[in-house]
Amino acid sequence: MAKTAQEKLEAKAEKLYNKTHKRKYKLTPGDIIFDIVNYTFFIVFTLCCLFPFYYLFINTISANDLVSRGMINFVPRGINIDNYVNLIKANEIGQAFLVSISRTLLGTALMVAASAFIGYVVTKEQMWHRKFWYRFLIITMYFNAGTIPWYLNMSMLGLTNNFMAYIIPGIVAPYNIILVKTYIESIPGELEESAFMDGAGYMTIFRKIIWPLCKPILATIAIFGAVGHWNSFTDSLILMQNAPQFYTLQHRLYLYLNTTTNLAALMSPGASTAALESVMQSALNAKVIKYTISMVSIIPILMVYPFMQRYFEKGIMLGAVKG
Amino acid sequence: MKENKTGKEKIAGYLYYVARIAALLSVFLIFFPAFNPAKICGYISKNMSLFTAGISYSGLVEQCTRAFSMNWVQQSSFVILFVSSMITCLGVVGVAAMGCMSLGNNKLKRFGNWFGIGGAVAELLGLGGIYLAYSQVAQTIKPDKVEPNYPLKNNLIFIIVAVVLLIVTLVVQLLLPKTEKEDKYEMESQYKLFLMFLPFALLIFLFSYLPLYGWRYAFYDYTSGGTLSSDNFVGFRWFTSVFRNAATRSDIVRVLRNTLAMSGLGIATSWCAMAFAIFLSEIKTPWVRRFVQTFTTIPNFISWVLVYAIAFAIFASDGFISSMMMNAGIWDKGVNMLQSADHMWLKMLGWGMWKGIGWSAIIYIAGISGIDQQLYEAATVDGAGRFQKMWHITVPGLISTYMVLLLMSIAGILSNGMDQYLAFHNAANINTIEVLDLYVYRSGLVSGSISFSTMVGMVKSVVSVVLLFAANGISKLVRGESIV
Repeated sequence: MAKTAQEKLEAKAEKLYNKTHKRKYKLTPGDIIFDIVNYTFFIVFTLCCLFPFYYLFINTISANDLVSRGMINFVPRGINIDNYVNLIKANEIGQAFLVSISRTLLGTALMVAASAFIGYVVTKEQMWHRKFWYRFLIITMYFNAGTIPWYLNMSMLGLTNNFMAYIIPGIVAPYNIILVKTYIESIPGELEESAFMDGAGYMTIFRKIIWPLCKPILATIAIFGAVGHWNSFTDSLILMQNAPQFYTLQHRLYLYLNTTTNLAALMSPGASTAALESVMQSALNAKVIKYTISMVSIIPILMVYPFMQRYFEKGIMLGAVKG
Repeated sequence: MKENKTGKEKIAGYLYYVARIAALLSVFLIFFPAFNPAKICGYISKNMSLFTAGISYSGLVEQCTRAFSMNWVQQSSFVILFVSSMITCLGVVGVAAMGCMSLGNNKLKRFGNWFGIGGAVAELLGLGGIYLAYSQVAQTIKPDKVEPNYPLKNNLIFIIVAVVLLIVTLVVQLLLPKTEKEDKYEMESQYKLFLMFLPFALLIFLFSYLPLYGWRYAFYDYTSGGTLSSDNFVGFRWFTSVFRNAATRSDIVRVLRNTLAMSGLGIATSWCAMAFAIFLSEIKTPWVRRFVQTFTTIPNFISWVLVYAIAFAIFASDGFISSMMMNAGIWDKGVNMLQSADHMWLKMLGWGMWKGIGWSAIIYIAGISGIDQQLYEAATVDGAGRFQKMWHITVPGLISTYMVLLLMSIAGILSNGMDQYLAFHNAANINTIEVLDLYVYRSGLVSGSISFSTMVGMVKSVVSVVLLFAANGISKLVRGESIV
């Protein structure tokens, strides 16, 4: 059977293809060295990222006298969770934990709802002077008056020493609104039009169509918003100067880290922190307390992270599209 | 929806412009402490607006504890003041509702006018109540301590606005034709959409634009709790003090050097994230790659305070390194490495990298997966090695993303944030760690030179905006695309 020229050519191409692809697997000594160096680098770096968390953790669950002597470095010994139990019982920390949790939940919920709604409204061409209002919103991303005018403004509005200072200013988040707006624009307009024909108002369309369809992007901004709320501490530091009951967990941690190892200084004057005192007596030094508070602040993030990783990554990609 | 308008309706339309402007004015006025009609004595903070006075009784009587216990003023006067302020604020809400409803059809307009009339009356009643509270406070036995002082100018403004609103809405109500019972409340969709946005526009104004009004502090010699008046107006003295005053100048130079050095190091090493992504994609074992990617991004999600807590656990005198060294017998005593000021810029860069590099790399990893695989195959056929492929295919594929991020970071060169440096600073390292943002915070809110630090923040903001526009201009020129 005589092969046609075409078939011959194809066979040749296949041979060449196999050859080049096999070459991929033929490792030269240079490749091996490269791989060893490369794998080692990344694994060491990853361990550098992980080890501190592990180190903190094993120190908080080990026997406190071993910890204070610096004996717990790689393996936990004398495992117990007394530190956590006692710490949560201490008034200050329990309260700070509640403040952080409630600002995260409330602040994020309001921010997401507002971003979805504003994102929807600004996609509507019919809105009165839409371009102007959209710019009015977006421009705020690119300037800020500075820390001091911001503080003076907040105090003028009565938002110092007030829990609402954590919530209200964060409701309108221009960047998140852009993300939602872009997302809504990618939804086919026919859906909305047909609902409009059936006599649905803007609010109904928003509730019944836009909101359910936007859930993926809303999940993404919710995650970022929640992490931001959980982590923020300068607002607590600057705005809550006379309201220690509204200190966030991060702020408390900052204060504890900056006290010297003097045990008495760990207790804020006046506050009856019998529980904290008992922690300190059993802890023998402040190190464990600091580590435990750190762990309490980190654990929520570490717990949420694996489930939410894809949303985090989606978030950064969406930001890049806007670029 | 277009209706034929009668002459009367046209006049009503013009009058509505007056009413809306008046309504808008009263909404703004209640947020400005300088126009607070309820500031009837020295115990009421100069930073308190009518809105604050009307929503928080505890804020209103914050400084009165002593005056109450000494019976200089009656608590009931302050209750009257609080309730009156609240009624005035509610009146403003009513007036605002009228302004919104005036965008609808006649039926809605007529309905809204009742809110306008009610609101204006409530405002006047509230202002009357404030006067009542003042006349009670004025009878104090200790005028020199209580300092009763009726803010006549502010009250007059409010009264005029309220009276104008009352008259206008009454006239409009008479001018507008009667509507049928079966008519519906309607509004054009453009206004409906606008009104949906309006509450948020107010929030944006309050929290993003109103702070700019605080820039005026830069032109006064203001001390906390004082007032702004022509007496302490200093013009550009704070601005020129940077050049005149040697101590200030050396402070600014030091802070600027830290800011630019640390931002500069960050920019100079920004390619590391790209390199990280490129070398990570050379790892051909999928689970290893996934593992590395997952765990190197975690540090990005913890706050700088927690990063400091981690630094503390590792580098403090009873931390990991010290205990390792002591256990090994190399050191006889723990060393707190966080207290040392050596190589502060590099240390900060290192922590920034530790926290951020995994996260910054994600965008490049996604970019690499978007590069056409045939390019690599073709290069392999041509005999290109691993590094040649990286350099000639991967890097050019990522360079435009890199350029955008680079320009953005150049535009933000002055704003390297405060959290990191605030968390890590201490008495030993403050000279080399203090960046502009931290300096503004410390000189303004810790040392109390409000005016000076407002000035510094103001100059920084203006320069940042200029830099952003410059970066955007460069981007447009070179890439033909804007970055903002």
